Amino acid sequence: MTPVAARTLLAVLALFALAGPLVWPEHAVQDLSRFLEPPSLAEPLGRDPLGRSVVARLAHATQLSLLMAVLCVATALLVGTLAGIVAAWRGGWVDTVLHGLSEAFIALPALLVVLIFSALANGDLWTLYIGLALAQWVEYFRMVRSRSGLVLAGPAVEAAWMLKLGPAHVLRRHLWPELRPLLATMATFGIGSSILALSTLGFVGVGIRPPTPELGLMLTEAFPYYHEAPWMSLAPVLVLTTILIGLLSLRRKEVRP
Amino acid sequence: MSMRLTHLAVRHTDTPLVEVSDLHFEPGRPVTIVGESGSGKSLLAHAIMGTLAAELTASGNLTMDGQSYDLADRANRRRLWGRAMSLLPQEPGLALDPTMRAREQVAEGAGSFTTDRRAARRSAGTLLASLGLGQASAAFPHALSGGMAQRVAFAAATIGDAPVLIADEPSKGLDQQARAELAKLLKRHVDAGGSLLTITHDLDLARELAGDVLVMKDAHIVERGPARRVLTEPAHPYTRRLLAAEPANWTRPCAHAGAPADAGEPLISGEGLAKAFAGQQLFSDLSLTIRAGERVSLSGPSGSGKTTLGNVLLRLLPPDTGYVHHAEALHGGRLQKLYQDPAVAFPSRILLRDSFGDVIRRHRLEPGRLGKLMASLRLAPDLLHRMPGQVSGGELQRLAIIRSMLLEPALVFADEPTSRLDLITQQETLSCLMDQADRQQCALVLVTHDDALADAVTRRRIPLGPAENAIDRVKTAG
Repeated sequence: MTPVAARTLLAVLALFALAGPLVWPEHAVQDLSRFLEPPSLAEPLGRDPLGRSVVARLAHATQLSLLMAVLCVATALLVGTLAGIVAAWRGGWVDTVLHGLSEAFIALPALLVVLIFSALANGDLWTLYIGLALAQWVEYFRMVRSRSGLVLAGPAVEAAWMLKLGPAHVLRRHLWPELRPLLATMATFGIGSSILALSTLGFVGVGIRPPTPELGLMLTEAFPYYHEAPWMSLAPVLVLTTILIGLLSLRRKEVRP
Repeated sequence: MSMRLTHLAVRHTDTPLVEVSDLHFEPGRPVTIVGESGSGKSLLAHAIMGTLAAELTASGNLTMDGQSYDLADRANRRRLWGRAMSLLPQEPGLALDPTMRAREQVAEGAGSFTTDRRAARRSAGTLLASLGLGQASAAFPHALSGGMAQRVAFAAATIGDAPVLIADEPSKGLDQQARAELAKLLKRHVDAGGSLLTITHDLDLARELAGDVLVMKDAHIVERGPARRVLTEPAHPYTRRLLAAEPANWTRPCAHAGAPADAGEPLISGEGLAKAFAGQQLFSDLSLTIRAGERVSLSGPSGSGKTTLGNVLLRLLPPDTGYVHHAEALHGGRLQKLYQDPAVAFPSRILLRDSFGDVIRRHRLEPGRLGKLMASLRLAPDLLHRMPGQVSGGELQRLAIIRSMLLEPALVFADEPTSRLDLITQQETLSCLMDQADRQQCALVLVTHDDALADAVTRRRIPLGPAENAIDRVKTAG
């Protein structure tokens, strides 16, 4: 898929996530008389076993997933990048401490970190956010630290110091152009994996608590009825697949000058 | 095996890059092509091998052993590689596989590699040992010096016993001793009945190889003949210019300008300096002073610690013992350094315009000075709209000179600034550097492995050598 097609696909999804909850606001209203209603023009995805609108739940779930993923990745990227640059720049004990910390996080499986945090306060959004961000900052830290170390030790930066150009110049002209393409690639992958992690947690029942709609949770809820209402389980799968394909096709080849 | 090229032409869209009507190679008689960068001499080698870049087109005919090959078809000579003809690539440090030990990668070229690996490894080991690399055969390329890497690449290129050997700039970045060894190897190949085509801008190498010399300029061969005649009584004006560009023949009146030693105030003084690297003592108990307006060179073979001493003097590296004092006059960016490879001295993903803009803004310089300096160093203003990687080595080094001169330095430290440039570009670049240094009366420290260059440019020489005698030599010189 070309990057243009991927961008269009993601834009459609983002529109669904942003405008969907406004068009179908009532994701929690139950109407048991409309138990497992098949799709119609008013209800494009029918109703679930509790008579709730599936399209409304899907729109809210997509919004939640995207927002959480973007927030987690932004936090992890910011923390990881800053820590990586500081470690590479200062070296010495700062580097030792930060590197040791990252090593400790690498030793733990990422999902375990998230699980520990969500166990602290069962299914609260903020614990999931902190857990996911904590699990992800390490890779940004390690990439940024090693790449910055190379750049900062190179002759171009040495020349910049001798020309007394100052740290702002080194950050803006040497580090940032080198890190930007790398971070962009990592962030697109990171958003994808956060969305997957979030729905994995929902699917196994330790993520967001019902009745908040969430893609993984919707899958679990729809499973017993896959025979009577296959569209209910297919809809969240389709959203997940589209997001992932869109994100993966978005990245361009990293070009070295 | 004799080889004949007829009507060879290499084009990029419609621009001819190489046009040679007839070239003949005979076993036992080396052919050397000399000329400046961009004259098309490397393309000639790649056209013969069939390794031209995809956007270039070749035409012509190659006859070898009675067999005729159309040069337009890249693939038809592939089965000759390593068996009938082989290429000794530029920059062996980059051409060798960094993840393989020397012997393993040499063994891959052996004829028996696919059938009997052990025999291939054994013959690779014998070949490396005969090149004096017995110890290094288990080393990875990063642990080899430039000269050793060149010998490993030579072993890889010749293990298949190809009678035709094409060497592309084999002496680039090598010091005199390594170059002499290389010449010996190439001559050994010729004496064993092989054909040799060497492409170089190094006239000393051409002299040592003897045989025939072809002088190439702007895609054409302008002069050809026996090396002895062409390189002593050149007929073509371009050949004469090429010979005049050799540092030993420089006749610049200001080549020996600069303040005499002991006249100016001391800028850098080092006392009792010592530095060891990876268990090897590079220098010890070394004391020296560099004074205002002086021209000093640090010379010695590669690996003798010239660059390290330079970095210690610039206080970029701490010495193991002793201390370095910098005078007040060097503060505030008035101590500058030029690098061997200017491409790595500029931020690689930034337009040159922005790199220079930062210097001008930071130091509140008058923006017009950059344009004036560029004009006086004969650089087109639109070079600034390119990335560093899109500018040729000579031009970029001149831009680096401008960048260092913008701050009106009291001392410029030039670390092999021209060792990767051809003779004419070297002369141009260095005369720009000397002019600027004269005009701003700044001291110049030149690191070089080329003694002739050191003599042509500087008054005082600080020779560094193999650790033991370095101290004496420095003492007598200082």
